[in-house]
Amino acid sequence: MAESTRKLFDYNEVQIGEELGSYEYELTQEMLDKFRQAMDDPEAVFATLAVKHDATAFQMVYDDQTGGVNAGNEVEFFNPPIPGKKIKVTGRVVDKYWRRDKPYFVIEATAVDEDGRLIEKMRTYQMKKPDEVGKKWHPQG
Amino acid sequence: MASTRLTEIGTEISPVTRQVTQEKINLFEDCGILHHANIHTNPEVAKRRLGTSYPIASGRMSITYASEALRKFFGPEAFNHTGVLNLKFLRPVKHGDAITVKGLVSNTQEQDGGTRVFVDLWCENQSGDKTAVGTASALVLRG
Repeated sequence: MAESTRKLFDYNEVQIGEELGSYEYELTQEMLDKFRQAMDDPEAVFATLAVKHDATAFQMVYDDQTGGVNAGNEVEFFNPPIPGKKIKVTGRVVDKYWRRDKPYFVIEATAVDEDGRLIEKMRTYQMKKPDEVGKKWHPQG
Repeated sequence: MASTRLTEIGTEISPVTRQVTQEKINLFEDCGILHHANIHTNPEVAKRRLGTSYPIASGRMSITYASEALRKFFGPEAFNHTGVLNLKFLRPVKHGDAITVKGLVSNTQEQDGGTRVFVDLWCENQSGDKTAVGTASALVLRG
């Protein structure tokens, strides 16, 4: 990720429908093995979930000093990724809105492998006031 | 083949329970392609950004736990190719939590080639508190 080329994220400036561009990576067997170990699930196949396609697309474009909390995910599965294949991810900004005095920001990404197989579509609802988490769920001791 | 059990409203999916540890959270984060300290792996970043004294697990770990439960319910051929899953995260998941995914068939809809079966699902922690709620579906092929 080229730090110097990233734009500083400004919630008020970002546009609904804005393209976040595309990137490619190889989903390796090592990534799949690690994912299965993390999830205690030897049959898990969508290691792409841990790559966080939409959030990664966003972070490649924006330097977000505020951060956010994942308020929700929507995912559609089409074909399990095949280790060793390159995956092309294309992201965009889908929506932004305020709810209960909190700003929300919605991004999505579509992933296709090098053979043109549709892998998954992922959408994330980020709440861009992350300190609300600590206020609501402050640890008791 | 669409079995009666799969398409019957009220059918429970078999629960899946997973113990969440910081080691597992770190492994999950390490599967990504951008490697940097974040609210999931670094207590200082979590404290600065969230105001918590602990890192929190990515919501995508709950998505993956739910995917496992649904894959086992629908079968991998159905869920891995036609599965749809939506979860809203209600409270943080952290090291030491045991997360259980539960769900019930809530509706069915005939489509070309089969029946789309809808499931209401949720994740609970070891205290029985819901950490996420949502819906899912998959296309169950006609026999």
